[in-house]
Amino acid sequence: MRPILLQGHERSLTQIKYNREGDLLFSVSKDHVVNAWFSHNGERLGTYEGHIGAVWTVDVNSTTTLLVSGSADNTAKLWDVSNGKCLMSWEFNTAVRRVQFSEDDKKILLITEPRMGFPATLQIFSIENGLTEPVSSEPLEVIHPQGPKITVAAWGALDKYIVAGRENGSVALIDPQTGECVSTNKIHDLTLTDLQMSTDRTYFITSSKDKSAKIVETESLEVLKTYVTDTPLNSAAIMPKVQEFVVVGGGQEAMDVTRTSSRQGKFECRFWHKILEEEVGRVRGHFGPINTIAIHPDGRSFASGGEDGYVRVHHFDDDFFTFKFQI
Amino acid sequence: MPSTNWADEVDGDELPQTFTDANGITTTIEYRTNEDGKKVKVTRRTQKKLIHDVVNKAVAARKKWPKFGKERMSAPGPNPATTNVGDNIKLKLSSTGQLAPEVDEKHEAMKAQLQNKKILCRICKGDHFTTKCPYKDSLGMEDAAASSAPAEEAVPEADQKAGGSSYVPPHLRAGASKGPAGGDAGREKRDEQPTLRVTNLSEDATEADVSELFKRFGHISRVFLARDRDTGACKGFAFVSFTMREDAQRAQEAIDGRGYDNLILRVEWAKSSA
Repeated sequence: MRPILLQGHERSLTQIKYNREGDLLFSVSKDHVVNAWFSHNGERLGTYEGHIGAVWTVDVNSTTTLLVSGSADNTAKLWDVSNGKCLMSWEFNTAVRRVQFSEDDKKILLITEPRMGFPATLQIFSIENGLTEPVSSEPLEVIHPQGPKITVAAWGALDKYIVAGRENGSVALIDPQTGECVSTNKIHDLTLTDLQMSTDRTYFITSSKDKSAKIVETESLEVLKTYVTDTPLNSAAIMPKVQEFVVVGGGQEAMDVTRTSSRQGKFECRFWHKILEEEVGRVRGHFGPINTIAIHPDGRSFASGGEDGYVRVHHFDDDFFTFKFQI
Repeated sequence: MPSTNWADEVDGDELPQTFTDANGITTTIEYRTNEDGKKVKVTRRTQKKLIHDVVNKAVAARKKWPKFGKERMSAPGPNPATTNVGDNIKLKLSSTGQLAPEVDEKHEAMKAQLQNKKILCRICKGDHFTTKCPYKDSLGMEDAAASSAPAEEAVPEADQKAGGSSYVPPHLRAGASKGPAGGDAGREKRDEQPTLRVTNLSEDATEADVSELFKRFGHISRVFLARDRDTGACKGFAFVSFTMREDAQRAQEAIDGRGYDNLILRVEWAKSSA
């Protein structure tokens, strides 16, 4: 396969995300812009401009009308996907590390960092009819979570719980109504770097600096599968269709990279069999650690964003679809 | 018809001929005079294929969205400043893992069980009667006897070549030529496995085809099919590694000289890479 290289960013990628149909790919990086790309040919649809700090996170709603981004300039912005117009800008005391639309598209969840005496918060905003009516600048809910710093979070099935991943490697279920931590389970030894839900949100995959990725059931927080690699992981994604695979990626810490060649750095996307927990293949190409991975919803392509500032979109060859794992 | 472009200039009596055959292939034949003043016949064969693609309505609508932001003034289509195509990368999917030795054990047990049996199939060299051979149809009876003869002839031929010239390449020197994969210490694991080199494969052959052809002889640990970097088509040769030497031996004897995709396959022991 010949990857499509997207060079719309000047600094390292922080997150990439496909929309529900997978025709658009959104990428954010530390260089302040949000880019929208057509995933089939790599054509850039446009840019969303307005942030004045590194953009940490992005998410798009299920109808691809609204986009939300969170940045280190202490704001989160709501955008009209079709024309790049900023509809709303929320101001916070600290940087926004994660944003996500709820399953019903009516709410967004944001995580703000603890910094300069301000505690970490999980905030929920209503964005119902956000495209046509003005959106409230006041949050529906502000949760002050106890315990170690939360690095990643996502809505669980039917928005019943919020799943949060913490710095100490534990995951927690938080009730969005009361803000209480319902249950917690320490599954990793080091900080969680990514948390991506399965299509039906009944289980999710986590990646951690402790060199492993795990599939965890949402309701019970029980670890179902473990994928142990030889390098710190920055991202992990579940292939929704075609093959029962998960894709994990990472590499040596960015600060140590200059001392190693790209081969030693292990900057590869690794394909693991989801059920049998065995590695089946690798895709190399980045010359820096892989920061983020996203898989097309129909499972026919995937994209990875690296510390090197490139997004690589890979469309699988025919033999990928006919591959059968032999035991 | 007056020609509009000097490059398309044709003689009046030799207008381009165009005809379409039953398969929808249009052939255009035209004559033109080249730089040396010689007349050249140019035949072009084109086939048009209409591809229907069903897309989601929302996706189709999004494709018509005007560009915005930094791309506001850009023409449709990918901009080479931001979008490029990278080098070809192969995602080689393999099932070899911790489960492989388990299969070998089973194989070993079966081997031991059948060790005393003296029955030998003439088609696949397996431990069953020739008439009961499961590959009777695919490998064919009539070729079975012929297949072993060319393999034996090939050996003296190779010796002759080596003797005729004063220089003997290292891999053909005494000792090296007999062993299939060297067996020297310090080699990688895959070099120690009995490996066959299959040549004269057709362009359309895939890894799956090759493994389908060889797996009847025993457990295959690796199939490598050389492909063209750009087109991805088979380059005509492949390497097949078996876990058991005897399996590889049987496969070599049975498949060598056999027809496959209108070509006569040649199977020999792979020489280990230096």
